[in-house]
Amino acid sequence: MSVGTRLENTTEDEDEDVADPIDDREIFDILSVSINDPEHPLSLEELNVVEQVRVRVDDQENTVGVEFTPTIPHCSMATLIGLSIKVKLLRSLPERFKIDVHITPGTHTSEDAVNKQLADKERVAAALENSQLLEVVNQCLISNARTS
Amino acid sequence: MHKYSKMSFIFFALELKAGQFTILQLVEALGLHLTSSQPQTRGRGVQLLSNVLQECYGDLTEREVEVLIVFYENRLKDHYVITPHVIQGLKALVSLKLMLPPGSAVSILKSLFQDIHVQVNTPNLPRQVVTLIDYFSHPTELKGLGADFVFGFVQSVDGERDPRNLLLAFHIARKIVHEGYDLGKFTEELFEVTSCYFPIDFSPPANDPHGITQEELVLALRVVLTGTPRFAEFLLPLIIEKLDSDVQSAKLDSLQTLTACASVYEQKDLAQFLPGLWASLRREVFQTASERVESAGLAAVGTLTACLSRSVLNSDSEDSLNVFLELVLKDCQHHLCEPDLKLVWPSAKLLQATSTASYRASHRVAAAVLPSLIEQYNSRTQVSHTIQLGRSIIVNVGVRLTFLTVGHDLISLPMADVYRTEPFPLLFPEPMAQGDSATPSQEHSQQAVRQRCVAALAAVSSRPSLVQESTPVLLQVLTSAHTGMCHCHMLFCHCLASRAVSLFLDGDVSFLPENAFPAQIQLLKVRFQCDSRSQSQMVCLLMGCVCWLPRTVEVPQMDRLLLELLELSCTCDHPLSYTSAAKCYAGLVNKSPAGEALDSLIDRTLKRISTELDSASSPVRTQAFTLLLWVRPHNLTHRSNPVCLSKLFSLLSDPELGWLAADGFSLLMSDSPDVLNRGSHADVRMMYRQRFFTENSAKLVEGFNAAVQEKKSGYLKALSHIVNNLPRQVQLTELPALLPLLLEALLCPDQGVQVSTLSCLQPVLLDPPSALITQLEVLVGRTLALTTSPTMKVRIASLRCIHALSRFPEHEVRLWPALVLRALAAPLDDHKRVVRSEAAVARNEWFLLGSPGGR
Repeated sequence: MSVGTRLENTTEDEDEDVADPIDDREIFDILSVSINDPEHPLSLEELNVVEQVRVRVDDQENTVGVEFTPTIPHCSMATLIGLSIKVKLLRSLPERFKIDVHITPGTHTSEDAVNKQLADKERVAAALENSQLLEVVNQCLISNARTS
Repeated sequence: MHKYSKMSFIFFALELKAGQFTILQLVEALGLHLTSSQPQTRGRGVQLLSNVLQECYGDLTEREVEVLIVFYENRLKDHYVITPHVIQGLKALVSLKLMLPPGSAVSILKSLFQDIHVQVNTPNLPRQVVTLIDYFSHPTELKGLGADFVFGFVQSVDGERDPRNLLLAFHIARKIVHEGYDLGKFTEELFEVTSCYFPIDFSPPANDPHGITQEELVLALRVVLTGTPRFAEFLLPLIIEKLDSDVQSAKLDSLQTLTACASVYEQKDLAQFLPGLWASLRREVFQTASERVESAGLAAVGTLTACLSRSVLNSDSEDSLNVFLELVLKDCQHHLCEPDLKLVWPSAKLLQATSTASYRASHRVAAAVLPSLIEQYNSRTQVSHTIQLGRSIIVNVGVRLTFLTVGHDLISLPMADVYRTEPFPLLFPEPMAQGDSATPSQEHSQQAVRQRCVAALAAVSSRPSLVQESTPVLLQVLTSAHTGMCHCHMLFCHCLASRAVSLFLDGDVSFLPENAFPAQIQLLKVRFQCDSRSQSQMVCLLMGCVCWLPRTVEVPQMDRLLLELLELSCTCDHPLSYTSAAKCYAGLVNKSPAGEALDSLIDRTLKRISTELDSASSPVRTQAFTLLLWVRPHNLTHRSNPVCLSKLFSLLSDPELGWLAADGFSLLMSDSPDVLNRGSHADVRMMYRQRFFTENSAKLVEGFNAAVQEKKSGYLKALSHIVNNLPRQVQLTELPALLPLLLEALLCPDQGVQVSTLSCLQPVLLDPPSALITQLEVLVGRTLALTTSPTMKVRIASLRCIHALSRFPEHEVRLWPALVLRALAAPLDDHKRVVRSEAAVARNEWFLLGSPGGR
């Protein structure tokens, strides 16, 4: 299900002095536009892997939480998808945010293991130093950025 | 005798004032007179007393006043001959106001009502009585008595049969009602005691000595009944009831009373009675046997509508006008289309009555009714009855009325200027668009119809406000109709042109009847009065009119018009006015045929402009500059062109006008929607912008290099305007030459310059020529610096440029990602969402650079 463009109060948007807090929709937009499922031609949003309702951000508390739903319960790409989401958010959000990415409960056979991996900061950093893995992640993130 | 008595009262008055005796002693002394068996004698006695009172009332004591009042009240019961004198005396006493014993006012009045008899022998008496009562209306004390007074009055009038007294009573009731006496809880009683006589049915006896007519009584009563909205809840049901009567005069009276009260009531008074009133009114018009009743009914409908239209509504209150019109439309509308013509006329009349009452009503009714009427007119072959019908629906919108004469016969169709574009397509597309593949005879008649439509539209469009509405429609018709200009179109344009010109030059408002124009309006003159602005602003309407005419239509009095416009644009101090005048002038000049006349005109204009501009102390430099900006010849080969442009360039460093001049370049390069574009039939040269740029860019660069530091931004601004408006291809080819300036522009503190430079650069960066690639370091540095600008637009534009920079050849950019990524971390937390999203996009792109799996 694809969500339409945000219907803003455009005058506020244009107003220099009005601060726009970071909200769920903004995070969702970051994720939906430019991450591909490596096995599908469609984006994660189109596949309902990421949905706006499963995105929670607290601007004041500096926390972001994203639940994602793999396409099938034993999807082997779950870790990769999770990692791509995490990387995307790391690259797109201010440093102050603590980013939590995990699988929607009950939708994957190895969700505990995957979640543990994604939550582990050192493991994520180490993974991203692996150029092969980074290559694959970048490939996921590369495509729609061109067309946006 | 007369003289003697006059002297005597003066004597007595003086003596009284001197304290020789009291008033009561005088009364005693007059005892013989006052108790005489002869009324005349008694009268004289009272007269003397009253005369003295008139002189001395100020000197009386309270006790004396009390006694005298009682005495006079009793005298009211006396013979009619005495009454005038009694009144006179009472008047004097009453004027004491505050000294009146409490309750005496009421008792006097009561006695008055009960005992007075209006006689033909004393013609002034009613007037005297009324003035006496008048006296009573002054003291606030009386009004303070309020309800008691009303009660007293009600009691005394109750059961009165004598028409003379009734007339008097109605007069008094009118005063009570109109002067806002506090009716208190006696409102209904007051109403009852007067309304029981409604409707008046009085046949004066033959040889009636009093001469009171039914008419008098009816009118006097009506004034009372309709005098206050507090009676509404009683009066309206009464009217509805009496409308049911079989007696025609009763019906008439009811209708006329309804009309009278509707003009003072408000919608809240009428709201709950609308269905009942409408049912009766409709019946009276639909089933009428009398023309008088019918017209009274229609008048009532009209005033009712007007009353409902007047009201101011709250946000949550119901619109009674709507409710009422719904009722009317429901019952009348469908009759208009029925083949059975019996109810067509009454329905039409009712609709007419409502729609002539107010703007709002006319709008509503016509919007509901006109479409089906027009459909009928278009579809029926036998048009006679529709013509009549159309004639009957005349919409009178208060003071303004425009009639439209179309067709073979005289159909009067309403054209209220309340309408906007709605009625035009409705009325005109059919006849105007027809005529493609018809037989010759059909085509001829369609032509004729179309011609008439156009003429009619011309007549309607003679008002500037309507012109603005009708012009788009007409242009639409013109473009969709024949390609060639046929005669009727020319007719219209000519008509329009001459009317507009005569209005603006000569103040000729003859074609705008029924408007409250000030005498001798001069729309093109500058006047130093408070209303000068509003009048001179009208020139923008003139511009809309004459500058959009096809070139083949000659504008009358062109020379004079140009002269006036020139004057206005150079002297007026109101920006909208002088700008519009300049635009209008330019539009007309542009369409003028080339030749010596045009050349000398332009020369003169430029001379005038130069004079003002060159004089630093001139108060109208801005105006002159505006004119220069608009008049610059689009025809680039005109010999005055270089002069014009060099003037503009030189103004870039002018202390007063420099910034205006820089912004003016944006105007030079872009299309104005008002004038000088293809749509308005202007003469626009092809490839104007490229040529402008090619011929002038060198000069700009030169000027920039030569200018002092503070003035440089003006040149940059002008340049960025020019470059921004160039077609893409030209931008790309010209860029190398301009690059130094553009990079310089990125350092300019002016935010407008920053934004326009960035937005100009961005598309070029996506596919950068080598000249740009060599400047990568500079570009990165300067665009990153701008990401911290206080202006949102600048931040966004610079982020977009940074995004675009990531497209540069890999070997060039590989040194930069670390720096850029670090610098872009801050904009990710910008307080504006749009900035954040640009930053995220750009940053992600830069991450992919030089990263495995990235680009």
